[in-house]
Amino acid sequence: MTLHPRDNMGPALVVLMLLGAGCVASWLLATPAIFSSHEPHYGVERMLLYYSTLPRLATALIAGAALALSGALFQQVLRNPLADPTTLGVSAGANLALVVASLFLPDLLGAGRDIVALFGSAIAAAIVVGLGARRGFSPYSLVLSGLVLSLWCGGLSAILTYLNERYLASLFIWGAGSLAQQSWVIPLSLSWKLAAVAIICSLVIRPLSLLDLGDSSSSALGVRIARLRVVVIACAVMLAAFVTSAVGVIGFIGLVAPTLARLAGARRPVQLIFWSPLIGAGLLFLADSVLQLVAGGLGDFLPTGAVTAIFGSPLLLALLPRLKVRHRIQQMPVGRRLRRWNGTAVLLAVTCAFVLLLAIAVLLGRGADGSWTLLSGDLWRDILAIRAPKIFAALASGAMLAVAGSILQRLTGNEMASPEVLGISAGSTFGVAIALFAVAPGFSGQFAFAVIGAVSVLAVILLTSRRSGFAPERVLLAGIALSAMVDAVVGVLSSTGDPRAALLMRWMSGSTYLVDGSMAAAEMIIACILIAAALTARRWLDILPLGPAPAAAVGLSLARSRLALFGLAGLMTAAATLTVGPLSFVGLMGPHLAREAGLTRALPQTIGAALIGGSLMVAADFIGRTLVSPYQIPAGLVSALIGAPFLMLMMRRKA
Amino acid sequence: MAAMLAPAPSFAQQGPLRIVSLDYGLASTLLSLGITPVGISDGADWDKWVVEPAMPKSVVDIGSSYEVNFEILLELKPDIILTTPYLDDMLPKLQSVAKVLRLEIFTPDSGPVLSSAIAATRKLAAELGRETEGEEFLARSDAFFDDCHRRLVGRQVPPVALVSFMDARHARIYSAPGLFDNALQRIGVRNAWTQQSNYWGFETIGIEELSRIADPDARLIAFEPVPPDVMPKLADSPLWRELPFAKPGHLSILPPALMFGMVNEAMRFAGLVTDLLEQQA
Repeated sequence: MTLHPRDNMGPALVVLMLLGAGCVASWLLATPAIFSSHEPHYGVERMLLYYSTLPRLATALIAGAALALSGALFQQVLRNPLADPTTLGVSAGANLALVVASLFLPDLLGAGRDIVALFGSAIAAAIVVGLGARRGFSPYSLVLSGLVLSLWCGGLSAILTYLNERYLASLFIWGAGSLAQQSWVIPLSLSWKLAAVAIICSLVIRPLSLLDLGDSSSSALGVRIARLRVVVIACAVMLAAFVTSAVGVIGFIGLVAPTLARLAGARRPVQLIFWSPLIGAGLLFLADSVLQLVAGGLGDFLPTGAVTAIFGSPLLLALLPRLKVRHRIQQMPVGRRLRRWNGTAVLLAVTCAFVLLLAIAVLLGRGADGSWTLLSGDLWRDILAIRAPKIFAALASGAMLAVAGSILQRLTGNEMASPEVLGISAGSTFGVAIALFAVAPGFSGQFAFAVIGAVSVLAVILLTSRRSGFAPERVLLAGIALSAMVDAVVGVLSSTGDPRAALLMRWMSGSTYLVDGSMAAAEMIIACILIAAALTARRWLDILPLGPAPAAAVGLSLARSRLALFGLAGLMTAAATLTVGPLSFVGLMGPHLAREAGLTRALPQTIGAALIGGSLMVAADFIGRTLVSPYQIPAGLVSALIGAPFLMLMMRRKA
Repeated sequence: MAAMLAPAPSFAQQGPLRIVSLDYGLASTLLSLGITPVGISDGADWDKWVVEPAMPKSVVDIGSSYEVNFEILLELKPDIILTTPYLDDMLPKLQSVAKVLRLEIFTPDSGPVLSSAIAATRKLAAELGRETEGEEFLARSDAFFDDCHRRLVGRQVPPVALVSFMDARHARIYSAPGLFDNALQRIGVRNAWTQQSNYWGFETIGIEELSRIADPDARLIAFEPVPPDVMPKLADSPLWRELPFAKPGHLSILPPALMFGMVNEAMRFAGLVTDLLEQQA
């Protein structure tokens, strides 16, 4: 393996520049301590330098290197330029494990926070990579399953946090990744772990670089591909888990560093794996020292991990055009094994179930003493006036999400596509965050900002994907990048411990609580109009999944019809997110259940999905309202809790 | 007769008032005014965060204060609902159930929290026609603070820093203009953390920032709950061992006290701190 000096000039220069700038910033940080150290009686400045500033800088270097190496390994072995510990859900898994442990097994946490987080990351990685393996490691489906898993872990963590909000305040910080140190314990333990993994990497680097030749050629050269993959992925997961368990989630370094290396001219796997950790180390080192300088000036607490994610996630967006995905509109795989059920009969059964659920939700509730009560007595009008808007808002949102989901799934030919992934809901969440923290927190203000957020995300998605002719993969992955960015911003806001963060949390968790009569009516009207629009587009929805050729043959403009349908899905998602939050999986479950029930053509599938989605959301709202009464679990979170196992089951079966 | 001369309280009426409180501080103030509320929010966690005065078990829990269970609230048929600016989102819906009394204690420009809390207590007492009980309660609290002050006068009272540990590397530290800082001043104890914080009176810091407290005699008081891994992790940190608080007897852990409270919570806090410092000095 020879390295041409020419090819390595670029990456070397980047490393030098990052380290140089980082050194300047950290020198500015450290000088007060170094020059004021002549106070003989009390060496606190000196102690701070030795045991806080320096270990923190060392941690930044080591964690940056480890994450970048992890990202480079993931990208190499999965041949996916978007893979990194953040996009594969490894860190979200660790976070969930910590939440669960701190609630149910606090002693376990006392014994070893690191082990708990490691356990969570390993499970998350096993799920995502396991599912990816069944799908031939397609770059698209891998990152998508990573994201869905992140959403799921985030949803579960949020339910648990929601029910115990005050006690779990510390986990906001954990999730947002802080590098603050009080000793050398973390950098030292991280460094030997990094060294151990680096040694393993150096042993597999030669066969790993042969993987670029393709599976058949590299096996012809004697590479045991399966075993190699397992080893490399295990290394990458370990690196990510060690860092997450030590300092929390540091977003996107594993994506940024290899990208920089590649842009600087590192082309071959050896170069990439050699230079990425160095660049990652320089990157986090620089980011953290600049952040400390800035935060010191603001006198505010800013978690490094969330801040790197704010700056790192736009890169995911910028990288999309480089991702070589073939124009891969396929036929629905499920469509071929049609059940011999009568569509009308199925729709009738679904409608009956829907009406029954609605009746239960309206009539049944729990009283002050916790007993189950039927809607009756002198207060029934007042109670109905409180209950009905929530139920109907849930119904409208569920139906819209499910229809949006069926549009997306038909357009992309991917059964995992769902409105949550589009990033529209993330956009409106972002709007609400701005309304809460920067402007007046009144409800109408929040509402307006949510709409603005949703619409601007939609615009960004459409603009960035216009060049690719609205290739479905690009649109969905652009949504992921935006979701990640919003998550990061919300993470920063939450970790400041501001009580307003609790309001934001509540909104994100998808509570129908603030819905009143007029809002429910508005939701119902919007839902009727948009769903009717979707039903009139049924011809497009039937033709587009067949591929570009049949569409052109019947004179359908691909770009224009896709724009219209994505716009419709986006509007529905925005309207629904306003009441049930960004986390529900209804947009995924509704269309699936409809198709599983045998409704395959666009019209019956859309109607069925709307009914099923509406029922699911009404059921979720009912469970959330009554299960832990007088306390309430947000409907969005309940449906996420129901949706996640469903999704896992589906992903296993469809592989 | 005095009651007739005073301006008529807005909610005075026949029979006991049915009051629901959506704030712990207001609920405990009600108890001190001799009124037991019919319902409070977050009732399940009262013993975890407020502890005293004890809330009678008959008081109905109406769910989280951010998401009051309106179906149960309606069933309670309250006359008055006590709320704070935090819950303004719900104001129109609350007003449709009963008269709403909105009291401001934590606002960006209200200054020291204890004075706001005293003013809010007077306002609450006046609105409920309980001025006498209100003044008696405030006089009791004054006497209590004076007594704490007296118990500590003449002793070598060190400055104290007040924290809640969030994990092994981060803490919330309490300072001006917060309730705890005000209470410290009232009983003549210096807060070792002199920097101003947000208007709720706390700041999130990395534990290494505690080294900014230069006084070698300073004590650190942490409030329950302390996460289980904090103490062992701190013991491993050379930086922590170098801080004045690592010396034996310089770190104490006290039972929970509510920082987002009113006069009762300030009294509980002052009592806990005075007991501790009296034992140590």
